[in-house]
Amino acid sequence: MTLVQISLATGFALIFLGLYGALSNRNILRMIVSFTIASTGVNLVLVAVGYLPGREAPILDTIPVASAAERITDPVPQALVLTAIVIGLGVTALMLAYAYRLFRARGSLDISDFTELKW
Amino acid sequence: MNSLPNFEWVQVAYALLTLFIVINYGMVMTAVVRKIGARVGGRYGIPVWQNYIDLAKNIALRSKITHGVMFYLGPVFRLTGGVGLLLFVPTIYGSEWHQNFSYAGDLILALYFIFFGTLGMALGAGESGHPHSAIGVSRGLSQVTMAELPLALGVYALSLQYQTLDITEIVAAQQGSIFNWTVFTNPLATVAAMVAFVGTMMRSPFDVVIAPQEIPIGPPTEYHSSYLALMQTNRVLFPVAKTVIYMNLFFGGATSWAEFAIKVFCLYMVSVVIGVVHPRFRVEQSIRFFLKWGLPIGVLAILTV
Amino acid sequence: MVNPLLILAAGLGAAFLLGLLRETSERAAFHTTVGALAVMAFVALSWTVALASGQTDPVEMLTAGAKPPFAINLRTGIAEAALTSVVTLTGLLSAFFMRRDLLRLGRRAMAVLLVLIMALSGLIMTRDLFNMFVFLELIVIATAGLVLLSKDTRALAAGFKYLVVSQVISILLLIGIIFTYHANGSLNIDDISEVPMGANGASLAMFLVLIALILELKPFPANGWALDIYESAHPGFSAIFSAASGSAALFAVYKVLAMAGPDWALLAAGIGIVTFVGANLLALAQTHDRRLLGYSSVGQIGLILLVIGFADRLGDSFLYIAGGLLVSHAIAKAGLFWLSGMVKARDLSDWAALRENPVLVVLFAVFIAMLTGLPPFPAFYAKWSFVHVLATDGAYSLMAVFLIAALIEATVLFRWFGMALKRSSGHSLHISLTGEAIALIAAALAIAVSWVWGNLSGQENLITLVPLLFALLFLPLDILPARIKNVLAIAGLVFWFAVTKNGLDPLRYVFLIIMVLGGAILLLASFHATGRRMGFYTPALLMFAGMGLLVTSETSFQFFAAWEFLTVGSYFLILRGQDSEPHALSYITFSLGGAFALLAGFAIAANGAPTFPIENLSEVPSRIAPYVFVLLAAGFLTKTAVMGLHIWLPGAHAEAETDVSPMVSGILLKAGLFGLFVLLMEMGRQELFGVDLTIVLVWLGALSAFIGAVLSAFQEDAKRLLAYSSISQMGYAVFGLALMNHLGWLLALMFAINHFVYKSMLFLAVGGVKERTHTKLMYKMGGLITLMPFTFVSVLVGIIAMSGVPPLSGFGGRWIFYNAIMSTDLRLPMILIFMAGPVGFLYLFRLIHTIFLGQLKDELRLTKEAPFWILLPQMLFVGFLLSFAILPGMILRRVDSYIGTLFGDTPLVWTGKIVDSQYGTWNPVAIWGVIATVFVVVFILLIWMNHNAQKVKQFNIVFSAERPFKPQTTHFAWNFFAPYRKAMGFLETPVATSFWSGVSNMLHGTADFTRKLYTGNGQTYAVQLLFFVIAVYLIAMGGLS
Repeated sequence: MTLVQISLATGFALIFLGLYGALSNRNILRMIVSFTIASTGVNLVLVAVGYLPGREAPILDTIPVASAAERITDPVPQALVLTAIVIGLGVTALMLAYAYRLFRARGSLDISDFTELKW
Repeated sequence: MNSLPNFEWVQVAYALLTLFIVINYGMVMTAVVRKIGARVGGRYGIPVWQNYIDLAKNIALRSKITHGVMFYLGPVFRLTGGVGLLLFVPTIYGSEWHQNFSYAGDLILALYFIFFGTLGMALGAGESGHPHSAIGVSRGLSQVTMAELPLALGVYALSLQYQTLDITEIVAAQQGSIFNWTVFTNPLATVAAMVAFVGTMMRSPFDVVIAPQEIPIGPPTEYHSSYLALMQTNRVLFPVAKTVIYMNLFFGGATSWAEFAIKVFCLYMVSVVIGVVHPRFRVEQSIRFFLKWGLPIGVLAILTV
Repeated sequence: MVNPLLILAAGLGAAFLLGLLRETSERAAFHTTVGALAVMAFVALSWTVALASGQTDPVEMLTAGAKPPFAINLRTGIAEAALTSVVTLTGLLSAFFMRRDLLRLGRRAMAVLLVLIMALSGLIMTRDLFNMFVFLELIVIATAGLVLLSKDTRALAAGFKYLVVSQVISILLLIGIIFTYHANGSLNIDDISEVPMGANGASLAMFLVLIALILELKPFPANGWALDIYESAHPGFSAIFSAASGSAALFAVYKVLAMAGPDWALLAAGIGIVTFVGANLLALAQTHDRRLLGYSSVGQIGLILLVIGFADRLGDSFLYIAGGLLVSHAIAKAGLFWLSGMVKARDLSDWAALRENPVLVVLFAVFIAMLTGLPPFPAFYAKWSFVHVLATDGAYSLMAVFLIAALIEATVLFRWFGMALKRSSGHSLHISLTGEAIALIAAALAIAVSWVWGNLSGQENLITLVPLLFALLFLPLDILPARIKNVLAIAGLVFWFAVTKNGLDPLRYVFLIIMVLGGAILLLASFHATGRRMGFYTPALLMFAGMGLLVTSETSFQFFAAWEFLTVGSYFLILRGQDSEPHALSYITFSLGGAFALLAGFAIAANGAPTFPIENLSEVPSRIAPYVFVLLAAGFLTKTAVMGLHIWLPGAHAEAETDVSPMVSGILLKAGLFGLFVLLMEMGRQELFGVDLTIVLVWLGALSAFIGAVLSAFQEDAKRLLAYSSISQMGYAVFGLALMNHLGWLLALMFAINHFVYKSMLFLAVGGVKERTHTKLMYKMGGLITLMPFTFVSVLVGIIAMSGVPPLSGFGGRWIFYNAIMSTDLRLPMILIFMAGPVGFLYLFRLIHTIFLGQLKDELRLTKEAPFWILLPQMLFVGFLLSFAILPGMILRRVDSYIGTLFGDTPLVWTGKIVDSQYGTWNPVAIWGVIATVFVVVFILLIWMNHNAQKVKQFNIVFSAERPFKPQTTHFAWNFFAPYRKAMGFLETPVATSFWSGVSNMLHGTADFTRKLYTGNGQTYAVQLLFFVIAVYLIAMGGLS
């Protein structure tokens, strides 16, 4: 197994683990943590897909621009990962804020306690 | 007078003559029929001029009341219906005198004009406010909805057969031999129509509408004096006028007053004979009767023509 | 032109600027927000105008100084510009609408709002997949933030569920994006679309991207989270969530679908139609207004997704159709959400509070009509075109499903409207001038876009039609007294008649007289109304406008639009009646159902032709002609209330107002008859499966004639009696038409004229009685003849005419009838007609007897004659009936010769005033002469004998030597035809009613059962979402391979 395959497998494992956790835990905080795990998995997949074996990180300060195209990995997935991490952080923060307010409002963190809106 | 191309004043005189003959014929005939009925039952019966006596008595009655305009007009509608029906149908085939005003319309006019008097009198009776009148109307209308159906089917079959709605032409087509009569050329239509005939002659078993023997029920409940006189006149005139239609349509019409008298009497007796041997139907029973017997025969008639 | 990127820059810039403001200066913050939104809206609008008018070309915007795919690029074409306009305008108006709550929460909330609008605009303009993801996540975050604007604490839970689901979606999207990138080496949408994508490994990636975006559209059934937001969020935000977010997400899906290629279109179309059907069905069971709007939003977006799935097929008209639907959805839904902000309580019937402010009621009506796709709004044109495309493609079952779901949607919305107009609310209105102004602006926009769509339609621009404008003129005029408006309305109708009458064939001319001049006569009765009578004239004139346009219509489009106008107008009219809420609903449901049948029929007939002249119906290829015939006939028969499709009629006609009943009965029913005339004239006999369809029509007509009459005889309510009688009379007319011979058609026309006259007269008479006695139940009346003599006369003349007894004009109808059936080979249906005839006497006699004859009730002793204005038209009709009876030729002769040119025969010979047929004679003058003479003679005789009759009092009757107890027990009225009921009562079995209520119950039951799916648990929603994705994937792969 190559490194790419290992990271891909790990990434998907994390995604499924995270999704399973988010969907099987009723506790809101546990759900949020699970989603973080899943996002990590996604990020891992992103990086793995963009990784070219034997190449360096696409930082032009250390690599001459002229030979950059042959020596660096694809920079796009890297950029994507960075953005995704930032956004993931934002969403996680927002979810935590929600969790806080939900707990304040109801004194409970059980997702199945918040079902007044239905049908 | 271009809208009345056939009109001459003398026709009025002819029509009045027809009317006179028919009314008197009806007066006597109905009395005779009652007398026959009495004799059959072992009673002496009324004198044959009894109808004239009743008429005179009613006209002479001094206490006269009215319940209102429609009440007053009811008998007028009723008699107009009878007279009009007679006048819209040729009475004697081939006679210039007794064609009446049949050029105003055809068979359809006659069939629909039958309702004119019924409707008017029902309205008049209604204004009297007597519940029995209203009950009588309710029964009468309910029954007539089905009783007229076989006639309508019979007439439809007949007009398809002769390809005309003109009564004179229908009569003309039946001349020559007795076997040219519709009763022989189209027995089903005739039977269907005769079911309706029996059903609408206000005789047993279909006479619950006026229930003549017992309680004073039926549309005429509140009528008396000259009102009743007009209605009585109609009651002898109207059956004859209606029988004339049947005679014309199914039994070859009449070429003379003698033939007329015999045929009308015989036809009239059909309903009488049936009436004396059958007990009375309730309204829903008679409706079912017509549905069960009149309708299928009528349907057969229009399908086989 | 400024660079469209300014839209994004302005949003972001202002959001940052807000952060620099002090915490306490909310007002300044609000002004900044609104200013930024205004700038964004202005830029978007100016681009829309410029692109639409062709002044500029679509523009590509590059960022970071590099060309794609090395940098993100954005594009502004006409679709992008229009959609950003929708988004930014919604944002601007909603900002005003949420002003108080924004001020309460301060600048942060405003910044979030700005970011949301900016992100939505970005999502629309960007051409880069990953950029799309970024904007989507921004939208998620902003949405979750703005949900908290609501004071409803349940919104918290809704927001969290939304976040949970969004997490799942973003996982799917990211994986999809990265593998798409892996397969194509580019994230640029235009690059990717150049590489053909087969059903290889990349297809899963593409699927994930696509499904993730589609999930943003809240497809049924994976959409519980969205409904919860709609239910609990601030209505101002819900307006954005529905109108703006929906539009942006739709466009994102459109872009990706275009990129993915035609293989995926079916997937979108399938999800679209399932969503449209499912959401509308489930909306049936809703009682919460905002949740209902949520379902409706989901449904509408599903519909547009369906259209997007057809984008390839639609070609040039795609933008027109999808845009029409989208803009209608956006304006109407935003408008409704804004209105809901002014209603305090959340039950549908609480919208009754709107009645405090008539302007809001009008706005409500406008939005509902717009959403339902009624003319002249853009969705009308869009649906018209879309159904035509479906029909041309032969996608008949899809068309049927689409139309049925659209019908359910209309039912749901009109039921709500009916509740608002008829129920009472315990809460008063939350008056807000800003809110009202915003809703008004939305309505103005609605009219503007209607004009645009009308202009682009290639058909008539409906909103510029004079009759429609005339009807709408009465909205501002509604402050005038009713009488002034009435004069104006009558003048308008007479004028329209004078303008349009030239050049019509006699048949259309007669219908024009009935529909337009007849309307003017009936409006005379409306002079009786006092005060302002708000909300009467616009619908009434809308209905008459529809009828006037119907008669003069030349293309199927004009015909259908006119049909919708008259349907909607009459619905609003009928709804005005006191207890008419359920009846108006069933009326509009059946009418729209019929209208959709017409739409389908015309669409199939047109077979791709952009405009389809009505007369081309005769050239429809024989392969499809019978189906066209069935559909059109079904539409028209719904209007004439043929047995089986009749159940809407009795309630609708009986519960309408006094002067409305004659309009909808006497006049409106003729629209269906007119349609049948046109249909049979153009298409003639058609055979389906070896059955001659005109024979089916003959049977249906005969059955209606008979059963209608029987049911009429059993009614206790005078107006219901008349209503059932209309079913019977229309049955005769349909029967006559379907005989397909000269005399049959003349018969139908005679019935059209006669029925108009005597039914209008009788409805007015009964209405006049009701005005005085305050009841419609006949057994509560009695003996009114002396108190209401004129009314009595008109009823008397009316029933004699209707029963067909000579000498009045009804007899002419019967005479023509007999001649007509003599010239046809059909025998058996006649039996039903023969049975119907005498039954007519039953109900007619009952009508006159139980009201005017019999015993007068104590409480009615002071009853006065009906009001003058109600009597006046009746007396005109009496005069007409008498003269028409003597001189039928004055109308019939011209029509007779015209029908002769159609059939090429002359069965009737007119000599002077005598009519001769092959079979018999009808001499009306002679009939009159004989009857009048005999009548007068007998009358004089009676007067001579009984002139001294004594008038007696009421109870002076022969009553077994007793006086009757009281009028109530003596007036024989209730269950008048008891004997008939005993014999024929089985015909009363409500077969049709049971059937239709069974259908209705089944739909409601399904809706109520299925919506339990939405358990309210966020985790369940996420699981449903995943199952949905898997199910769609399996189906899609099955379809692709």
